[in-house]
Amino acid sequence: MAEAFALKRSVPVRHVFAIYWRSLAAQIRSVFEYPADLWVMASAGATWNLLQFAFLAVLFATVPDVAGWSFHEMLLLSGLLSVAGGANALFADGVWSTGSYVVRGEIDYRITRPAPVVVQVASSHLGLQSFGEILLGLAMFGYGWIGAGLGLAWLPVGALALVCASVIQCALVTALCAVNFWVKGPMSIFAFLMIDLQGQSMRLPLGIFPAAVRIVTLFVVPVAFVNFVPVAVLTGHLSAWWLIGTPLTAAASLALAAGVYRLGLRSYDSSGH
Amino acid sequence: MSHAHAVDRALVVVSFKRRLAYKSQWALGLALGGGSMLIAMAMWHNLLGSGTLAGYDWDSMRAYTIIGFVAATMVFGAADFQMADRILDGHIAVDLTKPVDFQRARAAEYIGSMISTAPTAVAGVLGAWLLFDPPGPATPLAGALTAVSFALVFPLAFGITYLSVLVCFWTKRYLGVMWLREALLSFFSGLMIPLAFMPGWLQTLAWALPFPHFTTTPAVIYLGRVDTAGALGLIAAEAAWAVGLWFLGRLVFRHAVKKVTVHGG
Repeated sequence: MAEAFALKRSVPVRHVFAIYWRSLAAQIRSVFEYPADLWVMASAGATWNLLQFAFLAVLFATVPDVAGWSFHEMLLLSGLLSVAGGANALFADGVWSTGSYVVRGEIDYRITRPAPVVVQVASSHLGLQSFGEILLGLAMFGYGWIGAGLGLAWLPVGALALVCASVIQCALVTALCAVNFWVKGPMSIFAFLMIDLQGQSMRLPLGIFPAAVRIVTLFVVPVAFVNFVPVAVLTGHLSAWWLIGTPLTAAASLALAAGVYRLGLRSYDSSGH
Repeated sequence: MSHAHAVDRALVVVSFKRRLAYKSQWALGLALGGGSMLIAMAMWHNLLGSGTLAGYDWDSMRAYTIIGFVAATMVFGAADFQMADRILDGHIAVDLTKPVDFQRARAAEYIGSMISTAPTAVAGVLGAWLLFDPPGPATPLAGALTAVSFALVFPLAFGITYLSVLVCFWTKRYLGVMWLREALLSFFSGLMIPLAFMPGWLQTLAWALPFPHFTTTPAVIYLGRVDTAGALGLIAAEAAWAVGLWFLGRLVFRHAVKKVTVHGG
């Protein structure tokens, strides 16, 4: 596959973005051909988030705080995580198909095209739930922001948090889906395991978990940098220095995803060999 | 044994064996269910300490969380996709020509797949028992009635899943339908947070739905929150939902099957 890599390295970044958007736009067009699916998926994304909000509202009617975190602070946690998950479904949902493309040999013709394979795979599908997730996630984030008394001065940090959370989430899911280049199977078990456990644990303050969980989520599979670290800095639970870790983790996760995908492509031998 | 029963049994066994063949599913189920259970334990341990919230202390919450794990393993580990795929990929056209009732055949397969989650449930409960040492049932009778309410989860889970799968006659994909159902089930069953924490109106809404019977009913019986008459009443309501949803499924299917299109035809 060495020649294919050499070809892709010479492709200008602008061209790669153009291909990506064109492919994603085609997905968006096809989505609107099936309105029933669009509505079911969008309302599924919205319902999960509404019920997450209801869970916190019900809990905080009984308790004043969870490990020192208030209702609005926990809404920020939940909202940011939902936006990150929605961004994954909107911008890189196709990576979830990596396993089935590998099994069926469908990476073949993507290798021959003049654009990075990961970009083509990422834009090959659109998670319709993303519309509901991002909308409700942003609403929770905004409501938590106002309730927690965060002023306009913090907005740049909020914007940085939203962008980095989306990048880290997409990159970590991509890296874990790329494991299917070696562990053959249509289902991305590792990525699924990560988002499921992350979806439950990272909506809670990290302080309630044992030290081992904190170390893993901060430094091994750095999901804590998706929402916990930026929100903890915004709300004063962590010192501002921690914020540097968020863009750094985003950059490192992107490099990891690109690296694992590239290694995976090297070991890819199509189907039936 | 009548012919229909022999078919039921064969479908249960085939579905059970098919699921058992995928051993990675056991590990995934255990990791997902076990992980959720540990996260819930960490949260409630932190919140409850040595106190009580909405009538739950750390002792009762440990038992509640383990009961929630069993219910979630049974319901979320079953083969609902298989059922949806038959409608989406057009296999239903072949099913309709068979001298076997479509709903009954899917029920047999679904229950077979639910039975296959037993290794995951048993391993998880054993692990949780060793780690958390939860209290036993309030009385031996409460323990027996808890088992009955768990047994009724089989037809009830099928009823809800089947009804939601029938939506696939109108959609091209099943994933969103599944998420919607799982979201409602997680919240209104009391899996996310016990119903006792909810305000009165939300509890009323939850009890007007079939979902509480997945976690709250077995848990309140086990913990002795209801007396024997109350427990029997809850079990009767659970059974009524199972029967009602079965006939509702028939009604919706009769209407939905007119929508069947196979590869655009």
